[in-house]
Amino acid sequence: MKSSYLRASAALACAVVLTACGGDDGQLLLSGTISGVTKPGMILTNNGGSDFEVPVPANGTGLTRFIFPNRISSDDKYDVRVKSTPTNVQECKLFQNTGRAGFDVTTIEIVCTFKTQALTGTVSNLKNDLILVNGSDRVIVPAGATAFTMARVAQDAPYGVSILANPAGQSCTVANGVGTMGPADVNNVTVTCAP
Amino acid sequence: MKSSLIRPALALALAASLAACGGSDKAEFTVAGSVTGLVYDGLVLTNAGVPLKVTPPTAAGAAVRFAFPDKLEYGDTYAVTVATPPAHQNCEPGVPAGGIYANNADTAGRLVTIDIAIVCRINTRSIGGTITGLTGAGLVLANGSTGGSYSAATPETPPSTTPITYALPEVPFNTTYGVTVSKQPAGQICTVANPTGTMGDVAITNINVTCVAA
Repeated sequence: MKSSYLRASAALACAVVLTACGGDDGQLLLSGTISGVTKPGMILTNNGGSDFEVPVPANGTGLTRFIFPNRISSDDKYDVRVKSTPTNVQECKLFQNTGRAGFDVTTIEIVCTFKTQALTGTVSNLKNDLILVNGSDRVIVPAGATAFTMARVAQDAPYGVSILANPAGQSCTVANGVGTMGPADVNNVTVTCAP
Repeated sequence: MKSSLIRPALALALAASLAACGGSDKAEFTVAGSVTGLVYDGLVLTNAGVPLKVTPPTAAGAAVRFAFPDKLEYGDTYAVTVATPPAHQNCEPGVPAGGIYANNADTAGRLVTIDIAIVCRINTRSIGGTITGLTGAGLVLANGSTGGSYSAATPETPPSTTPITYALPEVPFNTTYGVTVSKQPAGQICTVANPTGTMGDVAITNINVTCVAA
C-alpha cells in the first residue's frame, strides 16, 4: 500500500516538474512526408487530438512535407493517424507513425493512392508506329491500330496526351487530348494522321 | 639486465597462450557493403585511395554487393566514398536498414562486420522555358498526369513585356515528358513549342509558351 502512495506522489512530482518546464507545449517537431495531396481535405491527428489539415503543395505533385503546428516534448508518445482524406484518395498507408519522441520526429511516412480512371482514345489512318505520351507515360501505337490505351489517371489530375514521335511519313494531330480527370473514364481522345 | 630477459619471455608466453586459444591470426575485416538503385555503368568507389569498380546488377532493382580486396586489422580506419558516379545517376553513402547515420566511415572492429550502404538515384533535370504574351489570369501548364504542374501568377496590369521563365518539376533521365496547357488563361489561347521529349543529361529550357488573344 505504501509503495502505491509513493508511486502516485512520485508521478505527481514528475508531472509538476514537467509542467514547470513547458509540459505539453514542447520543442520537438512532429513531421514527415505525405503523398497524394492534390486538393484540400487531408486531415491528420496526433493522439486523437485537434485536426491538422495538410496544405496542398503548389506544384501539383501531391508530395509534400508536413509539420504539425503543435510541437511535442521529449519522451511524448505520438500516434499520427489519417482522420479523413480528399475525395480523390483511395487509401493511405502509414509508416513509422507511432512512437516516443527522442529527437525531432521527421520520419513519418504517409503514402496515399488515388482513385484512377481510364484514359483511352481512337486513332485513324495510322500507317506506321506512333508514340504518344502523357507526361512520363509512353505508349507505342502500332501501325494500323484504331484505338490506344494510356496508363490510368488519378481523379482530379490533369492529363495531356501529346505526340512524342510522329509515324514515318505522316503527321498526326490530337483532339480532346487535354483535360482534368473527373470521376468517369475519358475515352474521347482522337488522333488523326495524314496523309 | 634481468628485466630485459623477463619482458621477451612474457611476450612469448602471451603469444603462446593466444595461439593456444585460436588467436593465431589477427582479426581481419573486409570493407564490404551493398549498392542499391544502381542502373547504369561507371560507378567507382574508393577507400583510402584504392578504387573499386561496381557494375549494375543483372536483375534490375537488385542490390549489388561489393568488397575491397585489402583486409583491415582491428583499429584501422576506413572511409568509402564515391570516386566516380555512374552515368545518369548520383550515388552517396546511405543509412543502412535499422540505422540512423550513414556508415561509410568508421574503425574496423567496432562492429563485427563492415556492411556499408551506398544509395544511387537516377538524375533528374528540370523542364521549362519561357511564356510570352501572357495577359490573362489562370494559365496552368502540366506535364502529363504525374509530372506536376505550373500555375502562372496573375499578370500585372499593364502586362510586362518581359517573357516569364518557368520550370516544371524535374524529370528523371530517360523518362518522357509532354507539356500541355492544362488551363488556358482568361481571354487567351496559349500554345506550346517543343512540348514533348525524352530526358537526357541536361535541363530542358526550350518548352516555350506563346499566348495570343482568343
